[in-house]
Formats: sequence, structure tokens, C-alpha cells
Amino acid sequence: MTLLQVRNLTKNYDGIGILNGVNFSLHEGEIKVVMGPSGCGKTTLLRCLNRLVEPSSGEIIFDDKDITAADVDIRQVRQRIGFVFQNFALYRHLSALENVKLGLRKLRGLSDAEATQRAIYELSHVEMQDHQDKYPAHLSGGQQQRVAIARALAMDPAVLFFDEPTSALDPLMAREIANLLNRLHAEKVTILCVTHDVTLAKNLPGDVLFLNHGHVEAEAPISELMQNHASENVRAFFEEKAPNA
Amino acid sequence: MTFLEIISILVRGAGFTILVTFACILTGLFSGLLAALLFRLDIRPLNWLLHAFTYAFRGIPLLVVLFLVFFGLPSIGLPIPPLLAMMLSLGLICGAYLSEVFRGALKAVDPNEIMVAQSMGMHRIQILISIEIPQMLRFSAPGMLNEFTTVLKYSPFAYTVGVPEILKEATSLALTTLRGMEIYLAVGILYFLIYKIMMEMFLWVERHYAIPGFKQI
Repeated sequence: MTLLQVRNLTKNYDGIGILNGVNFSLHEGEIKVVMGPSGCGKTTLLRCLNRLVEPSSGEIIFDDKDITAADVDIRQVRQRIGFVFQNFALYRHLSALENVKLGLRKLRGLSDAEATQRAIYELSHVEMQDHQDKYPAHLSGGQQQRVAIARALAMDPAVLFFDEPTSALDPLMAREIANLLNRLHAEKVTILCVTHDVTLAKNLPGDVLFLNHGHVEAEAPISELMQNHASENVRAFFEEKAPNA
Repeated sequence: MTFLEIISILVRGAGFTILVTFACILTGLFSGLLAALLFRLDIRPLNWLLHAFTYAFRGIPLLVVLFLVFFGLPSIGLPIPPLLAMMLSLGLICGAYLSEVFRGALKAVDPNEIMVAQSMGMHRIQILISIEIPQMLRFSAPGMLNEFTTVLKYSPFAYTVGVPEILKEATSLALTTLRGMEIYLAVGILYFLIYKIMMEMFLWVERHYAIPGFKQI
């Protein structure tokens, strides 16, 4: 079943087109990777999808409803879309446990005991239960990213967006995050992941959406894109990113 | 009269000094926080009013504001008791300075944390209460302590509107005993002790609520 469908999505800043008619769909339980050169609009696309950035035009059909419509309560929609940011952005005045609990308390209205129980479960899910009382400054990049994922998962989202989840991590930690994403995919979590990390993309099972100059230039498994793809832009990107692949 | 006896007489005024200081600090905290948060909403006509408030109360001398409130308002039918006059002058001046301290501290909150909260579906007030204000108060600690100290040091102006605080007691005593040197030395010691106790209390609170591992640059 299609969970998310994007039709002719555009975004202009001061008359300059960042997204120029993006079309794609994401099915329930699917994992899709968005790649493309720097400045192609990957992050803008992700932020338009939950209207952190307002799109200029187009439709975003999420769960059979156009969420660009004026009468949509976007805060309700956002509660169903988990978002994991590039720089983790944990609330630095809160412990790992409190980071996960905050949304459960404020948005789900859970009692403190219920929120704690749920937060511990989600931290265990990402193998961070032993660090629940630590503050972000005392966690490594990989650990912070895991807590950020637990925070997003705790809200029981219909889909998880990842914005460059490995860009601030060393290769070992990046591999851990790739394994975690695969595990989530095996649990049927729907994922849309923006990355320029070819190694990560190769380790994820879904198709790659290749974005260039604000539109989808290709959509295929990464193995197809890396092997003599018809588009010169696609070939050039992968030759630069993974010359020995 | 021994030095200890002088101090014991002046201590009677210390209660009023502490009362004036804390009343003005509370007024300053409330008005400063309100102004900083209203600034954060970024509503243009409101911003002009808030700028007018901060510029006026930072630019006009305390004694002028105090006399305007205490002697000026009764002339238009609004008699103001001395403590309230101090709160509306020294308290609001403290608030004007604190609003700038708070505004700077709000800018130190990581915008990515705010974006995460927005992406989770939190509304503006929830973000302010759960994320921005708790961090802002911590980041403001050095500036707040500075301002609270200033309030304590300006509290003797309460003497001019008839509050029997330390300096008023000291002046009365000096006029009757002519032992100004010992009396004003005792006043200095008492103010220093109040300052020291206030600072230790504040630093304890600051340490207690410090974010573990986080060092502000």
C-alpha cells in the first residue's frame, strides 16, 4: 500500500528553483534512499515532506490525504512522521531517557511512568538502555544517533525520515547505523533516507532515488545506478563517490 | 557603643535591604523573561514597544525613574507605596537589562533542537517551555548573577523614598553618635555578607541545574 506519494513538488527560494517537480512514491514497509550531488535539494525535499519547509507547489499525499492542503493540522501529521537529523540534535539539557520521554509526555499525553516504560523499551531497541541516564555531551556520535532514532521510534511513526544519518559518524559507527536501519526495515518500518554515503546506500535494500537539479533523474537499485547508467550525471556522481566500485 | 552593637542595630535595616533586593529581583526576572519571550514571538509593533521599554529603562538614571514613580505618580492621583516604587523603578530597570541577557541566551539554544521539536509536532509554546526556557535560564546564569548584584548595590536608593533599610539606619545612627567611620564600615561589611550569601545560593542553584558535560564557550 502506498504510504506517501509526491506529485510535482516544487520549492523556490527567491525565484530559484530548488525542487523542480519531484515525483515519487513510498510504500508501507519500504526503504528508499535519496541521493544526489550537493545542493541538488535532498534535504529540502525531506523538509518539504513534513512542511518544515513550505513547498511552493505540488501535492504530498500521506496516508491518502494531501498534507499541503490549508485545512490540514500539520502538527498532527508530523507526529506520524519520525525525523532523524544529520547532527542528532538531542536536547542537551535532557538525559537520553528524558529525550525519548519528552514527546511521549507532551504529545502523546502519557503519564511519567508510562512514558518511562516506553522510553526504556525504545532505548533497548537501539541497544542504549545502559546509557539512559547519560546526557548528550557524554555520548559518542553513534550513541547520540541511536538515541535520536529511539526518540523518533517512540512516537510510533508511520514513516521514518533520515537526513544524512552517517555524515557525522566515523566508518565503524556508520556501519552500526546501517545495521540498525536494516533491522528496522526487517521490522517493516517504512524509511526514507537521504544520504550521500554510497557505502550506506549499498548496505540498504531499497531503491535509490537520484535527485539532480531538483528533480528525480533516476530511480533504481543502487547496483543498477552504479553500472553504466544511461545518465551521465548519475555515472559522474558514482564515479566520484565510489571510484573503485 | 561597641562595633558589634553597631552591627546589631544595622541588622534591623538588613531585613528591608533583603526585602527590597528580592522584590526587585523578582520583578526584574518576571518582566525580563516576559520581554525576552515576547521578543521571541517577533511581532513587529510589539517589538517596537519592547525596544522602547528596554532603551528607556536602561537609559534613564534609577533615581529619576524612582522619583518619577514615587513623587510623580501621586500628582496624577496614583499614590505608590515605597516598596512598590522600588519594584517599578529598580525592578523594571533590572528587567530591561535581564531581557537583553535572556535574548542573548535564547539565541544560544541550538536551532536544530527547535527544528526537531517542530518536526515532532510540538507547538510554539511547548517548545518554549520544554526546550528554550530551560536552556536559556542556564545560559543566562552569569548575566543574571551580575544583574542581581547590581540590584543589591542599588537597593540603598530605597532610603530616598523612606524605606528603613541599612543605609537609613546607618545615617540616623551616625547623626546621633558621630561615629561615621565605624558605622559605614559596618554597613559595607553587612552589604558584603548579603552579597556573599546571595552569590553562594545562586551558584549552588547554578551548579545543581548545570547540564552535565556541557561547557558554554
